[in-house]
Amino acid sequence: MGSALIQPQVGLFFWSAVIFLVFFFILRRFAWKPILNAISAREAQIEESLQKAEQARKEMADLQSSNEALLREARAERDEIIRQANDMKDKIVKDARDEAANAAALERQKAMQQIEAEKRAAIDEIKNTASALAVDVAEKVLRKEFESKSTQEEFAKKVIADLGQN
Amino acid sequence: MSLKNFLILGILSLALSLGYSQDHHDQETHQNDDKHKVEETQDGGHEEAKKDESKDSDEHEGSHEGDALEHGHKEDPSEVIIHHILDNHNWHITDLPGGQSIGIEFPWMVYTSKTGFVYASDSEELIEKGIIPVHEKPYVLKEGVEKHFHVNHHGMVHLEEGEMEKYIDEEAFVIDFSITKTVSQMILVGLILLLVMISVANAYKKREGQAPKGLQSFIEPVVIFVRDEVAKPYLGENTSKFLPYLLTLFFFIWFANLFGLMPFNSNIAGNISFTAALAILTFIITQVNASKDHWVHVFNTPGVPWWLKFGIPLMPLVEFIGLFTKPFALAVRLFANITAGHFMVLGLISLIFILGNGGESAGAAFGIAPLSFLFTVIIFMLEMIVAVIQPFIFTLLTAVFVGMAMESHDDHH
Repeated sequence: MGSALIQPQVGLFFWSAVIFLVFFFILRRFAWKPILNAISAREAQIEESLQKAEQARKEMADLQSSNEALLREARAERDEIIRQANDMKDKIVKDARDEAANAAALERQKAMQQIEAEKRAAIDEIKNTASALAVDVAEKVLRKEFESKSTQEEFAKKVIADLGQN
Repeated sequence: MSLKNFLILGILSLALSLGYSQDHHDQETHQNDDKHKVEETQDGGHEEAKKDESKDSDEHEGSHEGDALEHGHKEDPSEVIIHHILDNHNWHITDLPGGQSIGIEFPWMVYTSKTGFVYASDSEELIEKGIIPVHEKPYVLKEGVEKHFHVNHHGMVHLEEGEMEKYIDEEAFVIDFSITKTVSQMILVGLILLLVMISVANAYKKREGQAPKGLQSFIEPVVIFVRDEVAKPYLGENTSKFLPYLLTLFFFIWFANLFGLMPFNSNIAGNISFTAALAILTFIITQVNASKDHWVHVFNTPGVPWWLKFGIPLMPLVEFIGLFTKPFALAVRLFANITAGHFMVLGLISLIFILGNGGESAGAAFGIAPLSFLFTVIIFMLEMIVAVIQPFIFTLLTAVFVGMAMESHDDHH
C-alpha cells in the first residue's frame, strides 16, 4: 500500500492541472490584475507624493531665503529712514536754534539801540540840564562876580590880553 | 508564544488525533456495536481516546466475531497513516452513535480500455458495470466473474493476496477520473482562495489610494514579497508576465497546506499527482519561454571541450536530463515535505495506540499520551512553517528556472 503513495494517478493529475489552471485564469483576471495594478498605482502615487513633498520643501526653503532677503532689505530701509529722520531732526533743531539765536540777537540789537538812544537822550538831557544849570550857575556867579564895575573892567582887560597873546 | 495560540494549536492537534482515532476506528468496524457507541460519543481529545482505549480492553475478551479474529486486534499503524494520507473516494467526517456515517461518497467516473467511460453513483453500481474498486483504485473485472463482493464502509472491496489475479483483468488500461476527496478539496481551496483574493481586489477598488486594511493588509505584504523577492530578482523585466502564475502557485499551495493541517481536510500537496501537475506546468512554461541561448546552452554548452559535446555527447545528455530533473525535484520536494509532516503527526499519535497494544496495556497508552501530545504540538508548529516555506521554495525555483531559460548569455562565460 505504501507504494501507492508515490504512484502518480492520471485522473488526479488531470484534475489537479485543470483545477489549478481554471483558478489561475480566474485569479489572474479578477484578482491579481486589480491587486497588482492597485499596488503599483499606489506605489507610483507614494513616489509622486514624496517627490512633491521634496519639491514643496525646496520651495519653502527658497521662500524662506527670499523672505530673509526681504527682511534684510526692509531692515536696511528702516535704518535709512531712521537715519534720515535723525538728520532731519538735527537740522530742524539746528535751524530752530539758529533762528532763535538770530531773533534773540536782533532783539538784543534793537534793545541796545533803544538803550543807546535812550542813553543818548538821557545824556543829552543831562547835558542840557547841566549846561542850563551851568549857565544858571555861571550867570549867578558872574552876576555875583561882576557886581562891581572894577571887576568887570579887570576881566575885560585880561581877556583882551589873552586875545592879544594868541 | 501566547497562551491563546498554544491553546489553538492544542485544539487543532486534538482534533487531528480525533480524526486519527476515527481512522483507527474505521479499520475496526468489524468489531461490536457497543464499542461503536463508546467511540462515537466522545467529542474529541486524547483523554477520551484513552478512556475509549481502556474500555476497549475491558471488552476485549470474546466480543469479536467473524474476520476480526483472523486479523487480530492489532493493525499496522503505517497502513492507517498511509490510508489517511492517500486520496479517498469518500469524504468521511464522522459516525453518529448508532453507526450511521456522516460524509460524502463520491461518484465514480472511470475510463477503461474495456468499458470506455463509466459513471456510477456508488461502488455497488460500479461493480455492476464491471469495475471493481480495491483500496481506492478501480480495476476491470474479468469477464464472467460473479459480481458478489462485500463493499466495506469505505466503498472498497478487500481482496486477499492471490484473489487479485483471480478477479482482475490486468491487461485493461484504467484511468480514474472520479472527483475524489483531494479533487473536491482542491476545488474548495480554490474557491476560498478566489473569495479571499477577489474581496481583497474589491478592497483596492473601494479604498482606492488609501492604506490597506484588514485582510487586504495581510495579503498585500505577501503579494509584494512574491513580486519583489521571488519574481523580480530572477525574471527582471519579465516579472509582470509571470507574476500571476507565481502568485497563484504560492497562494494555492500555501492555502492547500493550511487546509491540509486542519481536521477533516485532505492534504492536497501530499499527493504526488498534484505536485507533479504543478511541476509539469512549470516545466512547460519554462520550455515555451526559453530563449535560443537556453537551447544552445543545453546542446552546445559553452566552456566545455568539444569532444565532450560532439565526440562523446556527455554534456548535452547531462544538460538534457537536467531539464527534466528540475521539475521532478520540484514535485518530489513539495510532496515529500508535506507528506513527511503528516506522517510525523500521525506517527506520534499512533504511538498511543501502538503502546496501548490494541487496548491490552492502557497504562502505557496513558503514559505516552502527554508526550505524544507535546510532540504533536511541536511538529504542528513546524508544519505551519513548512506550509509556507514549501510554496515559497516551489515558487522561487519556478521563477529561477523560467528566468534562467529566458536569459540571453551574451555576457556569460
